[in-house]
Amino acid sequence: MAAAAATAATKGNGGGGGRAGAGEAGGARKKKGPGPLATAYLVIYNVVMTAGWLVIAVGLVRAYLAKGSYHSLYYSIEKPLKFFQTGALLEILHCAVGIVPSSVVLTSFQVMSRVFLIWAVTHSVKEVQSEDSVLLFVIAWTITEIIRYSFYTFSLLNHLPYLIKWARYTLFIVLYPMGVSGELLTIYAALPFVRQAGLYSISLPNKYNFSFDYYAFLILIMISYIPIFPQLYFHMIHQRRKILSHTEEHKKFE
Amino acid sequence: MDLNMSLVAREASPGLGLGLNGLPRITPTKTTKKPKKAVLFFEVEILDAKTREKLCFLDKVEPHATIAEIKNLFTKTHPQWYPARQSLRLDPKGKSLKDEDVLQKLPVGTTATLYFRDLGAQISWVTVFLTEYAGPLFIYLLFYFRVPFIYGHKYDFTSSRHTVVHLACICHSFHYIKRLLETLFVHRFSHGTMPLRNIFKNCTYYWGFAAWMAYYINHPLYTPPTYGAQQVKLALAIFVICQLGNFSIHMALRDLRPAGSKTRKIPYPTKNPFTWLFLLVSCPNYTYEVGSWIGFAIMTQCLPVALFSLVGFTQMTIWAKGKHRSYLKEFRDYPPLRMPIIPFLL
Repeated sequence: MAAAAATAATKGNGGGGGRAGAGEAGGARKKKGPGPLATAYLVIYNVVMTAGWLVIAVGLVRAYLAKGSYHSLYYSIEKPLKFFQTGALLEILHCAVGIVPSSVVLTSFQVMSRVFLIWAVTHSVKEVQSEDSVLLFVIAWTITEIIRYSFYTFSLLNHLPYLIKWARYTLFIVLYPMGVSGELLTIYAALPFVRQAGLYSISLPNKYNFSFDYYAFLILIMISYIPIFPQLYFHMIHQRRKILSHTEEHKKFE
Repeated sequence: MDLNMSLVAREASPGLGLGLNGLPRITPTKTTKKPKKAVLFFEVEILDAKTREKLCFLDKVEPHATIAEIKNLFTKTHPQWYPARQSLRLDPKGKSLKDEDVLQKLPVGTTATLYFRDLGAQISWVTVFLTEYAGPLFIYLLFYFRVPFIYGHKYDFTSSRHTVVHLACICHSFHYIKRLLETLFVHRFSHGTMPLRNIFKNCTYYWGFAAWMAYYINHPLYTPPTYGAQQVKLALAIFVICQLGNFSIHMALRDLRPAGSKTRKIPYPTKNPFTWLFLLVSCPNYTYEVGSWIGFAIMTQCLPVALFSLVGFTQMTIWAKGKHRSYLKEFRDYPPLRMPIIPFLL
């Protein structure tokens, strides 16, 4: 879901070029983009993020070649993963300030869900870090983000190669389910350890008459994937039809 | 004056409702009333605001027909769109016209083009309020009486040994009974209806929070306030004062507006000291409401209550700011000292 949401909802990070995600009605094109200073900043931001996720990709490949197996690769890319995924919080700021035309709520939702998985699940429950499900969502996120940030970079520079646009609106078909599976399996793997340690949980009685069961909370999160993921997925499919066929028509007339 | 202008316009433009002999053409379609003299009629065409599709053409509309009457005519051809869910406007992206607006007073020619927007299924405010307030009243009591399947079976139908728990039940129940009675007998609503989906949203909010708060306050492992009876007494005083205040404001607002009307006036303090808060804020009813919940939170020393108060405060601040802005726009002489919800601050 964090994987799905990231691609689906953001129009974000600049981009006058292609139609980046969440429904803007076909007709009205508001050419009120960011000013030159903001554009420069956003280009730098998106380039840095592209580079960051490339570092993670390379790190994964190198670790795999060095170890000879695909197990427990998380440890070799833990730091850049945390750094660059957490850095995406800036995207909420971009929307809030207005230099990116996406909804603050939608962007917050997707970034927070990623950050939640990185910190509140994978980082907090050490025992899941060696699970293969972690690799599943890390790979899905890495490929998605490299494409997404380069998409924004090129869009800002008004020079979007069709390949990038195609990749962004096609690879999700495999990467979404892959990412969602990785995320769900990881949360599921974390459950017994959360229960055992009473992680992030408060029980009665206490002075403020409050309780929180992190175990139940994680289960609720897993259940929430059921309504949310199909919506995001089919939204992207719909976007794909709209955007890729639109370009096809333009190409015909060239 | 408008009628004369329309007359001139009519004579100047041939074929617009006038037959070859210059007399008004009789067209056998929708009319509102039979004319007594050769009264000028308007034609009203209603287009869909999004698709510009022509939905309805009304012939022979009286010049002093109101938007409400036009809405009724429109319903005849499109019965699924009852008047409450119609938004008619002069500009597809403009503001909705009011039901009381008179056709000939609008900036239109003798053929008026109105744009229609479907507001979606509507439900009356009274219905929504009654449902959303009855829920918490009932739900809280389920927890208070510890009906089975909430707490462990050994606690079924037991009673708390803490006085504050009984007091809290009385306060919470009083609050919602007051709200229900105000909905039935006090409030005068400007709009009859709101979108249907609001009832689901609102009930989830009120019922959900009521259950969450009630669960902890009535829990067998509930911990009474740290500062004991002192804390409870202070909190009760705050609660009662704010309930009286909130009620006083509701009565004052009701008296501003005669029954059945939709007039808006600047509220001012009355002889009732609780209304003197109008000197400092535009929406003292919200101020008192937040105060009540803060009182309740201190009384129960329960974090979910504090969170509920915070969420409520956030929402009421948004509403208060909106109301304050409307007042400022509508009344040039609006008292400058007033803030929306918190004196001097917010």
